[in-house]
Amino acid sequence: MTDVILKVENLVKNFGKFRAVDGISFSVPRGKIVGFLGPNGAGKTTTIHMLLGVTSKTSGSISYFGDNFDTHRETILKRINFASAFNTLQNRITVWENLVVFSLLYEVRNYTKKIEELCNHFEIESLFHKRYNDLSSGQRTRVNLVKSLLNDPELILMDEPTASLDPDITDKTLTLIEKLKKEKNLTLLYTSHNMDEITRICDEVIFLDHGKIVAQDTPLGLTKRVKNAELRLEFDGKEKILKKYLNEKKSVFSFPNPNTVVVKVEEKKIPEIIFGLSQSGVWITDIEVIKPSLEDVFLQIARSKKHDKY
Amino acid sequence: MININRVVGLLTQEFFITLRSLEVIIDILISPLTSLVIFGFLALFLSGTNIFIAHGLLSGVLLWQTIFIIQYSVSVGSLWNIWSRNLSNMFISPISLTEYIFTYSISGIIKAGIIFLLSSFLTLIIFHFNILSLGLLNLLLYFVNIIFFALWLGIILLGLIFRFGTRIQAFAWGVLPVFQSLSAAYYPVSILPKPLQYIANLIPVTYVFEAMRENLVDASVISWNLLITGFVLNIIYFIFAVIFFSFMFKESKRTGQFTRLEG
Repeated sequence: MTDVILKVENLVKNFGKFRAVDGISFSVPRGKIVGFLGPNGAGKTTTIHMLLGVTSKTSGSISYFGDNFDTHRETILKRINFASAFNTLQNRITVWENLVVFSLLYEVRNYTKKIEELCNHFEIESLFHKRYNDLSSGQRTRVNLVKSLLNDPELILMDEPTASLDPDITDKTLTLIEKLKKEKNLTLLYTSHNMDEITRICDEVIFLDHGKIVAQDTPLGLTKRVKNAELRLEFDGKEKILKKYLNEKKSVFSFPNPNTVVVKVEEKKIPEIIFGLSQSGVWITDIEVIKPSLEDVFLQIARSKKHDKY
Repeated sequence: MININRVVGLLTQEFFITLRSLEVIIDILISPLTSLVIFGFLALFLSGTNIFIAHGLLSGVLLWQTIFIIQYSVSVGSLWNIWSRNLSNMFISPISLTEYIFTYSISGIIKAGIIFLLSSFLTLIIFHFNILSLGLLNLLLYFVNIIFFALWLGIILLGLIFRFGTRIQAFAWGVLPVFQSLSAAYYPVSILPKPLQYIANLIPVTYVFEAMRENLVDASVISWNLLITGFVLNIIYFIFAVIFFSFMFKESKRTGQFTRLEG
């Protein structure tokens, strides 16, 4: 049986007459990284806030480690943590002082060593005695990540943690997450607008729109739901023949450059198109297949008028 | 149940903030000491040969400082985290609401205690008035009352800040002077116009200041009637404050205001 760390059932949040979260249910198994995606206003942040207990739910239930969050708040919060690019720590005091405060709040044993180890990994030891207010946004995010790892959490809720990091530190952060997942079986609920990150680290993705879950699958499974890929062909002359063939096949195509055509086509029909064009006498000099990405899935959902289960 | 480690954690944060914030040092150290000196000389100037008036004013200033510092710590302590957008982080940690309020109360009492000792020493040196001349037991009974008063007032203001956000943060500083004028800290209640006397009688610390003035004449007397009346009122208001705060905190989380506090 799968060890479920977080279970959400029929979670609803109303702000007056506006329903921000509309009866969502999902679970996060131990050792998995679940991506939480959706356009702005989809209800992601409200859901995260409810999961952390800083916004109260209208109805539904949240349980961690099999215990109800309403009745086991303290014991649950000891075992989880949160990191966001948008929350900051106390800006009057130094990095070291902030981390000491949170170590005490989370009752971290031997916290001096712990802080040093984590800061060393994130390359922020030199910032120990700097006031938090004087840090750059990238440095702040790294300090926030250190804070979120202080208590060796079993689950971390991350709200766009890499939003203001440079590519090098982003990569290091993702590498650390992958390492923690592997070594400590760390579980994550991860929101981001960076689809490459989600594709790289998430085992499962939940798409939220207008407060409802509209899709839930592995990143690969989701991209497979977008049937059309892009076939980019470079060819030598004979544009008329090429157009005629593609029109006969009722294909959607465009010519971004002379001697280059982009055809939107179901992946399985790509060999047939290439073969057919060659048979018609079109000399193909280069072929590129652009497979659907998570971004395509995101755009398709975000721009969809219907919000039926995707 | 209070977890001592978490209380120490929050106290440590309070210590660091106090150490690194000139505003806090000015608010709880420089301003009270300056007021004491100003009021002290004013009292000497106005009292002429009646030294009891000067002593009454000085005692009033010393006790009022204590109220101010405790209330300030409870109400403004959270504002430092709100201004830093760190409040959510605090409540995402395992700290409970009880521990949170308890810590700020303890912090306020410690700060007020230190400032009271310093101010009392200053009063003794500059104005030759020893606050202990009011009687040790009397002082203790005053303190029980003024601590409760400052706490319930601070808790109510904190509840309002949590519910309505920083747009009413000025209440954290602005409400206390209203009570100061009505509770007859520096003058007898009888000076107030009759309608204001009725209001003054509803404020618990009014009884403390009245008792204090009685003790200036005779320190061996304990004005039980006054002090118990003040204490009973304090307990009633304290219970109301806790219920009010709890309601405001829940409302803040229900309406989403709690997370918007930092926005």
